[in-house]
Amino acid sequence: MNLKSIYPPHGIRIYWGPMLRIRFHGRGGQGVKTSSRILGRAAFLAGFLAQDSPIYGAERRGAPVVAFTRISDSVILERGFIFNPHIVVVMDESLIGDWLARPLEGLLRGGVALINTAQAGAPLEVSDSHVVVRLNITDEALKIIGRPVISAPAAASAAKITGLIRKKQVLEATVEELTELGLAEETVEKNLRLVSEVYDMTPHHSIKINEEPSRSLEVVDLRSDRVVFSDILEVGNAYLRKTGNWRVFTPVVDYGRCTGCMVCYVYCPDSAVKLDPDKKPVIDYENCKGCLICVLECPMRAITFVREAKAYA
Amino acid sequence: MRDVEMMTGNTAAAWAARLADVDYIPAYPITPQTEIIETLAKWINEGVMKAKLVQLESEHSMLTAAGTASLAGARVFTSTSSQGLLYGFEMLYNIAGWRAPMVLVNVSRAVAAPITLEPDHNDVLSARDSGFMQFHAERCQDVLDLVLMAYRVSEDRRVMLPSIVNMDGFYLSFTREPVGLLDKEEVAEFLPPYSHPQAFKARRHVVKGPAVIGGHLYTFFKHNIHESITRAAQVFDEAAEKFQSITGRKLEAVEGFLLDDAEYVLVITNSFTTTAKRAVVKLREKGVPAGLAKVVMLRPFPAKIIVEKLKNRKAVAVFDQNISQGFGGIIYSETAAALYHVKNRPETLLSVVGGLGGKFTTLEEFEYVFSLLANPDKVGAGKPLFLFRKDELRDVERAMKLAGVEGEM
Repeated sequence: MNLKSIYPPHGIRIYWGPMLRIRFHGRGGQGVKTSSRILGRAAFLAGFLAQDSPIYGAERRGAPVVAFTRISDSVILERGFIFNPHIVVVMDESLIGDWLARPLEGLLRGGVALINTAQAGAPLEVSDSHVVVRLNITDEALKIIGRPVISAPAAASAAKITGLIRKKQVLEATVEELTELGLAEETVEKNLRLVSEVYDMTPHHSIKINEEPSRSLEVVDLRSDRVVFSDILEVGNAYLRKTGNWRVFTPVVDYGRCTGCMVCYVYCPDSAVKLDPDKKPVIDYENCKGCLICVLECPMRAITFVREAKAYA
Repeated sequence: MRDVEMMTGNTAAAWAARLADVDYIPAYPITPQTEIIETLAKWINEGVMKAKLVQLESEHSMLTAAGTASLAGARVFTSTSSQGLLYGFEMLYNIAGWRAPMVLVNVSRAVAAPITLEPDHNDVLSARDSGFMQFHAERCQDVLDLVLMAYRVSEDRRVMLPSIVNMDGFYLSFTREPVGLLDKEEVAEFLPPYSHPQAFKARRHVVKGPAVIGGHLYTFFKHNIHESITRAAQVFDEAAEKFQSITGRKLEAVEGFLLDDAEYVLVITNSFTTTAKRAVVKLREKGVPAGLAKVVMLRPFPAKIIVEKLKNRKAVAVFDQNISQGFGGIIYSETAAALYHVKNRPETLLSVVGGLGGKFTTLEEFEYVFSLLANPDKVGAGKPLFLFRKDELRDVERAMKLAGVEGEM
């Protein structure tokens, strides 16, 4: 494709062609933004016009993060949140049940939900409403890199599903993005192996969507005829927000070895270790984020960890 | 103490705080405002006034303390000027967003650089969009009256927003003239005790100013402030009626002067209004149908009243003692916007910029403005006219020479 046809010298021949919209959902620290950028750059290297951007609120590890990539062969006349994506990439499957994140919301009919999951299931499942692609990217990453970092392979998988981007372009984009982030050459190399692996693993599927989404609009009058304070009176309700639904690893206490020294209790950054009457630790799995600091700090090596593979609804 | 006493604008502001029986005065000195807090500190020291006055380490802390104390249920008074207002600026939006109905007196002083002590209104008008109401004084009496009015309107449960009362440095702050006071019973009748419906209390937790990512919550609350401050215009009128019944003094959002049959009208604010009134009187004596509209309430902007006062006039000039760099007068643009949809709006709307940095504006200059209104062809449409005299330019040239700046002006 020739960029000159999009940006002609006199800037008069602009048309608005079809566009692919990809939405990434994941957790703070998973590389959601980087994933959208690798896909954006790969599309750019493939000769398309691309746009990538993240949205996040309070920056904390584990908080839901959304990022977007738009790919088009003509000028992109949109910005910001993608309400009706052609592809959603769910980098953390526990988000599917999250009432705030709602990763599948707005997925177009015939669109693809690409889900990173450790659950068994058909790799490609076509239903009336949309297509589900299941891949175990995290375990691939653990195998090759040794840590659950999945920004590059998630982008690779999405790139293949677009049907527009070759592996070569994803590899090139991965090098550029990860180098820009200051990653060591060795880590970048491992990522390239992972990208290659996951790109090949991803099933072929060509998206057929002609629907141009439009949102219905109902404008309201904001008048309330009274003073409304932006106060919070129901304070201290943060406990209602369970932070333990995101975990790659689950710490497990071996009570035979535990001496009740309380080191884990002190070190837990989320106060997710409680003490029973014998001063033995009880892990609050509703709020434990699986950071494994307790595993590292336990002087008796009484805390081990297992791979979390949570089912989702 | 007499019922009427000679006092400066600063003393009048201090008297208003004393009469309002404020609980808390966070303070920080800056010329030309300092006399206000000095006066209050003296009274508290003498035991004639019961309030807690604390000097903070900056205007930023001062305004933070003021807003939060107001939310704790204290009636709060504070004052500042110019650089001080700008230094604490981000807190203005917070205080309004928290819905803390405190009163701030701003003693106008032009903003550096170059630095000066004398007034124009770029300092106070920078706070125009913050959610504070703004009442601007022409006389020392207005300072006292408007502070009391400001408390009543701010604390009204239909409003719950802070106010700024503005007076010009030097021209009011250090100028003495007779000011009538209210006695305790009169104040009590006018100004009920302050309470906040959702105040900070030790036994009831409340979060003020929470995070609202997403834009729609933000917009909702911003709209509510807009709706409330707009409603404040009506609350102001009610309060003014009550105030008049007690004191006999009439306060208006926009005050007309010899306006009934006027064909040429000057729109103006603050202390130069006095001189402009004299120009109007002089022209009337010569048979010229001149008149004047003084804008007292800048926020909420009394667009409806301004339209009422200006429609069907032949020509109107707006005197702005401020400059929005790259545009011109701020009140001119607001007046023009108010008149846009009016069919019988004046044919000529002249923008005049004068009095920057307290530059003295003479009677003759105001007369000159009226003479332009009578011959609007001489005026470039939409372009601000800078009032600047030849003798002043000569003085600039002298100063430049002293400063060693080469070349001709």
